[in-house]
Amino acid sequence: MIKKPLGILLLVLVIVLSACSSGGNSTESPQKGNDSQESAQEGPKKGGQINIPIVGDPIFNPWHPNAYAESNLVNRIIFSGLTKPGEDLAPAPHLAETWEASEDGMIWTFHLRKDVKWHDGEQFTAEDVAFTFNEIVLDPDYGANGASNFKTVDHVEIVDEYTVNFHMKTPNAALPAYLGFNAEILPKHKLEGQDPWNLTSFNKEAPVGTGPFKIGKYISGQSVELVANPDFYAGEPYLDRVVFKIVPDANTQIAQALSGELDLFVVDDKAAIKRLENAKNLNVVANDTTKYFWISLNQENDLFTDVKVRQAFLHAIDRQAIIDTVLKGYGKIADAAITPNQSFYYTDQVTRYDYDPEKAKQLLAEAGWIDSDGDGILDKDGKKFSFLFEVAQQGDLEPVAQMVHQYLKSIGLDVQLKTLEWNTMIQKNVIQRDYEMILNWWTYPTDPDVFAQYYSGNAGKGNNIPGYKDEVLDELLLKGQQTSDPQERKEIYAEVQQYMSDTLPYLYLWYPQEISVSSTRLHGAPEMYMGGKLYYVNEFWVE
Amino acid sequence: MLHFILNRLWQSIILIFIVTIITFFLINLAPGGPSSLMRMDASEEERQALITRMGLDKPVIVRYGEWVKDALQGDLGVSLSSGQPVIQRVAERFPNTLRLASITLIFSVIVGIVLGIIAAIRRNKMSDYVVNFFSVIGLSVPSFWLAIMLILLFSVTLQWLPSSGVASENSALFEQFKYLFMPVIILSTSTLPTIVRFTRSSMLEVITQNYIRTARAKGAREFIVIYWHALRNALIPVVSIIGVLIPRLLGGAVIVESVFGWPGMGRLIVEAAQGRDYNLVMGVTVIVTVIVILSNFVVDMIYSKIDPRVKNVS
Amino acid sequence: METVQGTQIDSLHTHNHKVKKRNVLSRLAKNKIAFISLWFLVFVHIVVFIGPMIWTVDPEAINPTNTLAVWSLENPLGTDDLGRDVLSRMLHGGQITLLVGFASMGFTVLLGGIIGATAGYFGGWIDAVLMRITEAMMAIPNFFLALVALTVLGQSPVMIVVVIGMTSWMEIARVVYGETLKWKSLEFVEASIASGASALRTLVGHVIPQVIPTIIVASTLGIAWAILTESAISYLGLGIQPPTPTWGNMLQNAQQYIWTAPILGILPGAAITIVVLAYNFLGDGLRDALDPKHIK
Repeated sequence: MIKKPLGILLLVLVIVLSACSSGGNSTESPQKGNDSQESAQEGPKKGGQINIPIVGDPIFNPWHPNAYAESNLVNRIIFSGLTKPGEDLAPAPHLAETWEASEDGMIWTFHLRKDVKWHDGEQFTAEDVAFTFNEIVLDPDYGANGASNFKTVDHVEIVDEYTVNFHMKTPNAALPAYLGFNAEILPKHKLEGQDPWNLTSFNKEAPVGTGPFKIGKYISGQSVELVANPDFYAGEPYLDRVVFKIVPDANTQIAQALSGELDLFVVDDKAAIKRLENAKNLNVVANDTTKYFWISLNQENDLFTDVKVRQAFLHAIDRQAIIDTVLKGYGKIADAAITPNQSFYYTDQVTRYDYDPEKAKQLLAEAGWIDSDGDGILDKDGKKFSFLFEVAQQGDLEPVAQMVHQYLKSIGLDVQLKTLEWNTMIQKNVIQRDYEMILNWWTYPTDPDVFAQYYSGNAGKGNNIPGYKDEVLDELLLKGQQTSDPQERKEIYAEVQQYMSDTLPYLYLWYPQEISVSSTRLHGAPEMYMGGKLYYVNEFWVE
Repeated sequence: MLHFILNRLWQSIILIFIVTIITFFLINLAPGGPSSLMRMDASEEERQALITRMGLDKPVIVRYGEWVKDALQGDLGVSLSSGQPVIQRVAERFPNTLRLASITLIFSVIVGIVLGIIAAIRRNKMSDYVVNFFSVIGLSVPSFWLAIMLILLFSVTLQWLPSSGVASENSALFEQFKYLFMPVIILSTSTLPTIVRFTRSSMLEVITQNYIRTARAKGAREFIVIYWHALRNALIPVVSIIGVLIPRLLGGAVIVESVFGWPGMGRLIVEAAQGRDYNLVMGVTVIVTVIVILSNFVVDMIYSKIDPRVKNVS
Repeated sequence: METVQGTQIDSLHTHNHKVKKRNVLSRLAKNKIAFISLWFLVFVHIVVFIGPMIWTVDPEAINPTNTLAVWSLENPLGTDDLGRDVLSRMLHGGQITLLVGFASMGFTVLLGGIIGATAGYFGGWIDAVLMRITEAMMAIPNFFLALVALTVLGQSPVMIVVVIGMTSWMEIARVVYGETLKWKSLEFVEASIASGASALRTLVGHVIPQVIPTIIVASTLGIAWAILTESAISYLGLGIQPPTPTWGNMLQNAQQYIWTAPILGILPGAAITIVVLAYNFLGDGLRDALDPKHIK
C-alpha cells in the first residue's frame, strides 16, 4: 500500500521536475549536427551497435503487401535495390553499376555488379532481378506493395549473367529513381516456386538478402537484431550490430532517446522537439522529404468545381500559422506537387495564395456565394455552403484539421469536422470516393513524375483523389514522363508547377520537414532524410 | 462431480460459440479491410488481387462457416498481416501476458489480503480510513495517465527503470524486476483495491460473530487460536473473487501493454483490430475467452473443494 | 481497465430490502466522506452545466499567436497547443464527459433490467438463452470486445455509450433476474400470471422497488466506471473525437505535450480522478446507507 501515497507524491514531483526541465534554454539551433563531426576526428572505429525504434513487427520482404514503414527501414538494410538515392537524391549505383535507356526510351539496360553474394553465399545474378520483377512484382495476382510504380514496365529480360533489360510499355524517365525506392531484389533460389507472401520461413524468420547487415535474432514485439555482413560488396560495415527495437508508443520512444537507449529515429510528434533539442546526448536535424500535405475537394461535387472557390479556400487558411503551431516551424508552404528537395526541378515561380480572409470572401462572392439572409453562412440560389470535412486519425492530421476547420468557419462556410479511423477513411473516402472535403498527404519516389495522382484516367478509382480532369495537365504529365533529357524535363515540370498552382487540382498546404534525432555518439550518417541515411548504414560508426 | 464438470463444459462450448459469432460479424461487417488493402497508394488492381488471394470476396456467412470448420480442427487460420499461423502469433505473445498478469495477481493477492486484514482489524480507525481511501483512489485514477507519470519519474528524471519493453529471457532477476515494476504497479490498480475491500468485508463478517467476541473475552491464547481459524474462514471467499479479476487483468493489460511496450496479447488485439486482421482478432478473442473460462472453472473447483459450505455447486 | 465491477459484485447480491428514504439520507449524512462527495458532485455539475453560460468563450476557437499560454485574466487556465481556452474546454469537455457517464449508466440499467426481467419472467428457453449470453458476456474480457467494436464501428458519442452499456449490463441483469424469479414463485402471482398484462404490471410494480437500492448503488459506481472507460479508450484513440472536447480526449491530446507543457495533462487528469473518486465514495456511502446490515 505504500506505493499509493508515494505514487501521488511522485506525481507532484514529476510535474514539478518536468516543468523545470522544459523551462531551460531553448534557443539552441536544431542544427547541432556539426558538433558530432568535430568530435569524430579520430576517424571511423569498428564495433558497437546502434538502436533504432520501429513501431511494429516487420516483414522481411520489401514487396509484401503488409510491409509498411517499419518493414521498409529494416529491409533497406537487409536487402539492396538496383539503385539507391545518392546524397543529392538522384539515383546512384547500388546493385547496378551503370544503366542507360535506348533511343526511344522503350528499353532500359542495367549492368549489375559481379561481386555481390547473398547472405547464404550464393552468387547474385541477373536471374534474381528478372525473378523479382517477372514472377512477383509484375504478376497482377500478387498485388505486390509498390507494384503500381512499375506499371510502365512490361517485362525484364536477362541479357547475360550480369545484364538485364527492362522492356517498357511506355517510356518512363523515372525508372532508375523508382528502382531505388523500396524496390529491393529478392533471391530467386529461396523464393522460386513458393508463395512469396505466405513463406514465413523467409518473411518472418530467416530472410536472405544482399545488404550490409543480415538477420541475427528476431523476437516478435521486442526487437530485430541484425549483424554485420562481412561479405557486403562495399566492405564490412563498421558496426557489429543494428538493433531495431519495437517501441509503438511515441512518448516511450522519446523517453528512451532521452535516457540514451536509442540512436536514430524520426519524431512525428513535433510537440516534444523542444525537449529533445535540449538534451545533451541528442542531435536534432530537419530534412526535406518528398512529401506534401493537401486538401482534396471532391470535383464530382458542384460546390467545388469553380476554381475561385478553391482559391478562396487557400486564401482563408493561414498555412504559416499552422506550420508554426502544429509543425513547430518545420515545414514550408506548398504551391504545387513537386517538393523543394528535388531542387533541380522545383520552382518557386508559381502563383501564391497569401492568408487573406477578405480576399477569400471576395472570391467567393465573385463565385456567387454571399450571405444573403444574414445568418453568418454564405449561400447561393437559396442553398447554404455547407459540407462535411473528414480526416483520418493519424499523426498531425487531427490538430491540423481542427485549425483548418476554424479558418473555414470564420469566412462563413458551414463546415462539419469528422474524424475517421484510418482503414475506414480509406474505404469510404478513397475507395468509394464518398466525401466532400478531406485532408491528407502524398509521398512518392524522389522524381518529379506525379502522373499517378493527377492523370484524368486515375479519377474515380486511382490515385487522382479529387477526381480532377484536365487535358492540358494530362498532356504535360505524359510529356514529362516520356522525356529523358533532364533540361527538357525541367522545363516541362516548371510548367506543370505553374499550371497546378493556378488551377489547384488539390489545395496545396505545405512540404513538411522530417525531424530526425540521432545520438551524439553516432557518426558517419549522411545529411539526408532518415530513410535515405539507412542506405549508407555500412558507413555508420559509434564512439 | 462428473455431472458438474460435464455441465460446465457444455455451457463453455456454447459460450465460446456465442463469442465467435459476435466477434466475427462485428469485425467483418465493419468498414475498411485488412491494412494491406488500405494503403493510400494501392491501385484498384492491387486491392482486387489481394481480396481474391485472402478469400474475402466470399460472403461473410460462408467465411464464418469455413472459419468454424477449420477452428474445430484446431486451425485458427493464418494472420492476414504477416502470413504466420494465428496460433504462432499468439504463442509468441501469450507468455509475456501470462507473466505480467500472474505476477500482478500474486502481488495483488498478497498485498491485498494483508491490507484488507489490517483495515478490518483496525476498522474505523486511521489505518482503515487510509487503506480505504487509497483503494478508492486506485480505482479512480486513469491508469494510462498514472503510467505516463511513473515513466516520467522513474525513467526520464531518475533514470532508474527502463521505460518499456521486457528483459531478455536469461537476464538476472534484478533486471527482470526493473522491467516488471511499473507495469505490475499500474495493472495492480485494477485488482488490488478490489481484493483489499473484499478481504476487509469478508473479515469483518467473521470477526464480528459472537464466538470470536467470546473468545476474545476468554483470554489471549484461545483468542489467537480462534482468530487464526476465523482468518482462514474469511479468506476462503477471497478465492472466488480471483475468477472475477482474471478477465479484468486481461482487459487492463491492453492499456498497460500499450503504454509500456509490453509485447503481449493486449497489444496484439489492438494491432489486429486496427489492421483488420480478421483471423488474428478471432484467434486472440477465442483464446482469451477460453483462458478466462478455464481459469474461472479452476477457481470454482478450488473454491468448492476448500469451502465446506459449497456442497452442490451446479 | 479499472472497473468497479468487483466492488459491485461484493455489494449487489446480499441486500435487497426496502429502506425508508429518511433513514437513508440521515445515514448518508453521517458518512462524512460520502456526504462531502455528494455536495462536491452537485457543485461540479452546476459549474460544468451552468458555467459555459457565464464563461462564453468558444472552446473550439483557435489562436495561433497565443498557444500554450500561462494562466491569465483572459485565459484563467491558460491555452492549449492550438491556442484554445482551457477553461472553456474543461467546462464543455466536462459536460460531454458527464453526459456520457450518465447516458452509459442509463443504458446499462435499462439493458440489464430488460434482459434480467425477460429471462426471469418468461423462463424456459428464453431464460436459458439470455442467461447464457449474460454469462458469455461476463467471461469475455469486455475491454477486448469494446476495443474491437469501437475500432471498427467508429467513435461517435452514441456509439461509445452503446459500447459501454453493452459491455457492463450483466451485473444488473443478474440481480433483476434473481428478484423476478423470487417474485414469480409467490403464490398469488402464479395464479394471476395467465392474465398477461396485469401480471406484467405487478412484475414492474414489485420488482422495481426491490432492486432500486441495488440499482442506485450500481448506477453511482457505473457513472464512475463509464467516465474512466471513456478516458481509457481515448488513450487508444478510440474515444470521442475532436473537435468535441472531453476530459478523456483532452488528456489524450495532452500526452504528447508531457515533455513541454505537462500542465495540459494535469487538469483533465485531475478532474477525471476527483470526479470518479467522488462518485466511488458516494456509491460506497449509499451502499452502507441503503443496507443497514452491511457492516461498517
